[in-house]
Amino acid sequence: MSDTTLRLPRPSLYPERRVPRETPMDFRARSLLSLAAPLGGSRTRALRRIVRLTNAAALPPTVTDDALRTRAADLSLRLRAGPWPPAPALVAESFALVREASARVTGMRHFDVQVMGAAALVRGMVAEMQTGEGKTLTATLAAITAGLAGVPVHLVTSNDYLAARDAEEMGPLYRFFGLTVGAVVEGVKPEERRRAYAADITYCCNKEAAFDYLKDRIHLRERADNLHLRVESLVTDRPRLPLLLHRGLPFAIVDEADSVLIDEARIPLIISRSVPPSPEAEETYRRALHLAQGMQEGRHFKHQKALNRVDLTEDGRSDLAEAVRDWDGSWRVPVIREDLVRKALTALLTLHRGEDYLVREDKIEIVDEYTGRRMPDRSWSEGLHQFVELKEGVPLSSARETLARMTYQRFFRRYRWLSGMTGTARSVTAELQATYGLKVATIPTNRTPQRRIRPARIFADAAARWQAVAQRAAEIHATGAPILIGTRSVEASERAADAMRALGLGFTVLNAEQDAEEASIIARAGQMGAITVATNMAGRGTDIKLGEGVAAMGGLHVLMTERHDSARIDRQLAGRCARQGQPGQVETLLSMQDDLLTQLSTWSPAKLARLGGRARFFDAAQRAIERRHAAMRRELMRVDSQMGDMLAFTGTQE
Amino acid sequence: MDPSFLSPTWYRVADLQPRLKSHAQIHRMKYRGQTWHVLQDHQSGQFFRVSPAANLMICLMDGRRSVNWLWLHACETYPDDPPTQDETIRLLALLHQADLMHTDLDPDLGELERRSQRNETRAIMSRLRNPLALRFPLFDPDKFLDATFPLLRWLFTPFGMLLWLCLVGSGATLAVMNADVLTADLADRILATQNLLLLALTYPAVKAVHELGHGYATKAAGGEVHEMGIMFLVLMPIPYVDASAASAFASKWQRMLVGSAGILVELALASGAMIFWLYAEPGIARAVAFNVMLIGGVSTLLFNGNPLLRFDGYYVFSDLLEIPNLGPRSNKYLGYLVQSRLFGLRSAQTPVTQRGERGWFAFYAIASFVYRIGITITIALFIASKFFIVGILLALMALANMFVWPVLKGLKFVLTNKALKERRGRAIAWTVVLAALPIGFVTAVPLPYATVVQGVVLPPQVAVVRTEAEGFLTAIAEDRDLRATQPLVALSDPMLGTQEAILTAQLDEMRQRLGAAVVLDQVAAQALRAQIAHLEGALALERRRVATLDVVAPRDGVFLTNIADRHIGRLVPKGSEVGYLVQPGELVVRAVVPQTRIDLVRQRPGAVALRYGSAPAALHHARPLREATESRELPHPALSAAGGGTLQIDPTDPDRRRLLLPAFQIDLAVIDPPKGQRIGETVWVRFDHGTEPLARRFYRAVRQVFLSQFDV
Repeated sequence: MSDTTLRLPRPSLYPERRVPRETPMDFRARSLLSLAAPLGGSRTRALRRIVRLTNAAALPPTVTDDALRTRAADLSLRLRAGPWPPAPALVAESFALVREASARVTGMRHFDVQVMGAAALVRGMVAEMQTGEGKTLTATLAAITAGLAGVPVHLVTSNDYLAARDAEEMGPLYRFFGLTVGAVVEGVKPEERRRAYAADITYCCNKEAAFDYLKDRIHLRERADNLHLRVESLVTDRPRLPLLLHRGLPFAIVDEADSVLIDEARIPLIISRSVPPSPEAEETYRRALHLAQGMQEGRHFKHQKALNRVDLTEDGRSDLAEAVRDWDGSWRVPVIREDLVRKALTALLTLHRGEDYLVREDKIEIVDEYTGRRMPDRSWSEGLHQFVELKEGVPLSSARETLARMTYQRFFRRYRWLSGMTGTARSVTAELQATYGLKVATIPTNRTPQRRIRPARIFADAAARWQAVAQRAAEIHATGAPILIGTRSVEASERAADAMRALGLGFTVLNAEQDAEEASIIARAGQMGAITVATNMAGRGTDIKLGEGVAAMGGLHVLMTERHDSARIDRQLAGRCARQGQPGQVETLLSMQDDLLTQLSTWSPAKLARLGGRARFFDAAQRAIERRHAAMRRELMRVDSQMGDMLAFTGTQE
Repeated sequence: MDPSFLSPTWYRVADLQPRLKSHAQIHRMKYRGQTWHVLQDHQSGQFFRVSPAANLMICLMDGRRSVNWLWLHACETYPDDPPTQDETIRLLALLHQADLMHTDLDPDLGELERRSQRNETRAIMSRLRNPLALRFPLFDPDKFLDATFPLLRWLFTPFGMLLWLCLVGSGATLAVMNADVLTADLADRILATQNLLLLALTYPAVKAVHELGHGYATKAAGGEVHEMGIMFLVLMPIPYVDASAASAFASKWQRMLVGSAGILVELALASGAMIFWLYAEPGIARAVAFNVMLIGGVSTLLFNGNPLLRFDGYYVFSDLLEIPNLGPRSNKYLGYLVQSRLFGLRSAQTPVTQRGERGWFAFYAIASFVYRIGITITIALFIASKFFIVGILLALMALANMFVWPVLKGLKFVLTNKALKERRGRAIAWTVVLAALPIGFVTAVPLPYATVVQGVVLPPQVAVVRTEAEGFLTAIAEDRDLRATQPLVALSDPMLGTQEAILTAQLDEMRQRLGAAVVLDQVAAQALRAQIAHLEGALALERRRVATLDVVAPRDGVFLTNIADRHIGRLVPKGSEVGYLVQPGELVVRAVVPQTRIDLVRQRPGAVALRYGSAPAALHHARPLREATESRELPHPALSAAGGGTLQIDPTDPDRRRLLLPAFQIDLAVIDPPKGQRIGETVWVRFDHGTEPLARRFYRAVRQVFLSQFDV
């Protein structure tokens, strides 16, 4: 922040929204009410008004940069004097300033639809903007307005790369107004994190922000209110405030809101610490393994190979009880001892070295069942991992002990103001309303999209599909148009690569999460003659810029090789082409052996293949999985609220 | 480990060091030979059974031991039934809710406030949810009871018991002896407006004494009573006493004494009132006594003392059986049977914890359900007879509570319960079967359908035999087959003979005078001739009267008469009915069909069957003679309620011949008449309508009710 600007003391040391603890009854009532959310219409009238006001407040290009800054400082004072969100007139004034500055600094002037989207953000809504409408730029309007109003902003992205990229790209614009920008990505040290969070505008990935908050909660477990923190920093020699990473949860603009707020909210966040195994625990594991080795299949236990499952028989139980008769401690509890022995048996019988795991440098490395890749950071459940280590004679690894646990739903609801952007919010309107109280505003497109979507082709088996994908790629490649082949998994990428290698095509593969280098590959994916194979990770947020002359050839071709669990992810992938009024084509090539069908059906893939191609199976399967996921999220919320209610006596919710 | 054994949220409680607050109480109880530990929540007045392992954990909470330690210790001590982590968390939550536990955490004032607010909201909510039984605590009667109890201590001795037995015994005996006087016109007496008012005043008074009974019994057993107030049960203010301290008594006899104190008091009151009522003069005091008997006797037997409803009797009963929570667990047991036996759900949890409970559960669940439905429908109909809409609403509410909600809950369970996941198909199939059976039976299975009414044997109009002259009865014919002109009834009139003799003599005299005068005086002769003609006419008349004194059969037939030999010598006025002369098959049966059924009888004519009151075993057949006609005239006194029949007579009709409700009369010719059927004999007439499922009949009945009540 420049020296001329006024910096006020923070009224609240750790502002966040106090979400009232809700009973299961409240939860049910809210879910019911939210069903009416999609009926609310697109709520764009108020937003259009802000667009009109912004256009009216447009500044002539003759105004000098310094004059812009002076105006901004003046506006900042007025914004700070009022509440957040500010009055439409102030918002429009701010937007007009930012628009003009952006044109000078980045060369991009916000379109009207972007102004409209930003107005939705300021009002705490989810702006549904078509893919390729420039959400990154849209966010700057709202972020700078908040920054000028003294409200710290978290721009939450779905991955680290996007956080770093956007912070980098938009940094100059923020700095033009004297606002500081920080980015929090994986690997950043706590000191830097603290600094980044202290900036006026912080770009961060949802995971980092949530985990950092959870770490703060461990410190703040009891007595987190403002007064306590203030007094504490005066009277104690070890105040907790400097330990905290965040400075509260004021205003969040969540990019790819459906992915971050909905899709990823299925799994709770857990912070755990490692606890080195105690000698007693090791002795217990050793004894259990020894007991398991002495058991006979059939008499003491049954091994169902197909299910990878071991169950003790009645004889097994009674013999085990007999064997441990004189031992004390947890051995006396049948549930515990039988579980120990069963896990030992599982480790002995169902997990094989070389297939399920490798032993490297005295460590067990799990091999992923589907991809065949090593997963050095993964471990089996408590106990099972230790038994495999004992079996292989390597030192026991540490057990994990939960320190804090939180759901994304709870985290995002703690922001005092929450807003979001996404290309695909339609199908989750009700859930956004129910869970976060977010309303969805549908923003029109700037130019008519020119995306051509060809009907899906469906093949009986996967092999035929990959062949067709390669052939199609060859045909398109012959015209010179760039091709993006979207796959569902790393394994699928490799099969696509094999098929194309067979036809002698040159291509680039992008697997796993993006880093900066891979991002540059993506950026080149729009060049003439480029063929890029990428997992759906590449789907979101990336802007593939078309090379020269490509638009004339029909733009980027997207070949979708599978349908994803959610139709929204499919739409995101399709949204990589035909951005901002450019042409583009989408083709889908499916097979009846795709995961989408096999994971739902009890039929064998071979049997499914005999059904022949039926497009409606895919739609039905996708809907079924979406329903299943929605049910999982509801269940998580329900259990969370129920436990929160029951565990009220522990004082905290994490 | 079995995932349900551990909890992902365990880390939040594992290191807590809870300490039990000093006022926490765990009561040790014996139920059917088992030891139960019962935790008392003073906040909500509820009691919770805690497992032995939970009891151990609670007892070891000293503020130093961590929850994790307590849990492990409990697992090791009770290896066969170790508490799961979730159970332990629930136990802690329960202790916290009941404000029985400190933790090492500083008290969170915000949380305390939220909790007290929530308790308040919950109290308000529970009132709103049950507006028919609002409770308003008023004062703490403990000191009052303590002060007055010494005066009544003698009641809780063997002597007091004996006294009670004598009183109630004599009351009951007197009630049985005077049953007919007591029950005559019961409904009229109870529902008379003045009495309703009196009842409304007496009821709270009786209940106040009843509640004091609970209070003193609690005192007698050494408990405390800290709440007394007014409860609005269906808007009727009734005092109540919180005797929940009794639940903590170790002896079941003490618990039963407290539970039954109210019943004992009411029965004693009713007996006293019985004695008073018998010996008192009619007046307000006697009316009050009658109501006290009604409340103390009838309401105790039907409601309060009846174990099948959840009132005092229920608690006494479940204490007697040593099965706490009998009602809810019985219902659970039925649910468990369905889940485990029909759905094959192995994870279904049985509520049976002790031997001998199974049978009681099955019995109680069904018996109480049936009784509840019966009593509710009866009450609803009783009220509907006075206040139609209120009664119907009550009936609908009762139906919703007893059928609709349980069915919906069951459906929800079948359709969404996770445990049923793999057996949902089977569960749904069984549900469909179970639902289809009664529904199918009611809607699809045609059942015999008929209208049964009373009728009476009547002669046709032509058969009436009347006297044509006045006379004294001298003889009657036997009621056997007679030919035409055979005498039926012989009358005599001694005056008739005398008159004839006088007339004959006068006629003779005139004729002789005429013989003498005819040549002498033509004028006198003319006058005599006129006199003779007059006398001849008079004589002819006299002779005809003599001739018609005897009634002869106008045709062949059977003479039916009510006149017997003992009537001989009586004066019979001219034109009286002396009997009927009927030919075989000529007797008709007149049936009276109420308006509600006439449509059926007309629209769906079928076989008509008869059973005579004198010989109900034999079945006879009949056919309608003509269309039914509407008439409110009672065809024969034998059909009226007073005459032993079923028809109600309009009490405002001075002749007692007008029917209360509109009805239709239909004459039936008996195809195979029995021998010796008597005029005025009552007959059960059955109009057959073929077969029809119950649902259609129900629809028709409801339709008619609405037609008559709302004209829709």
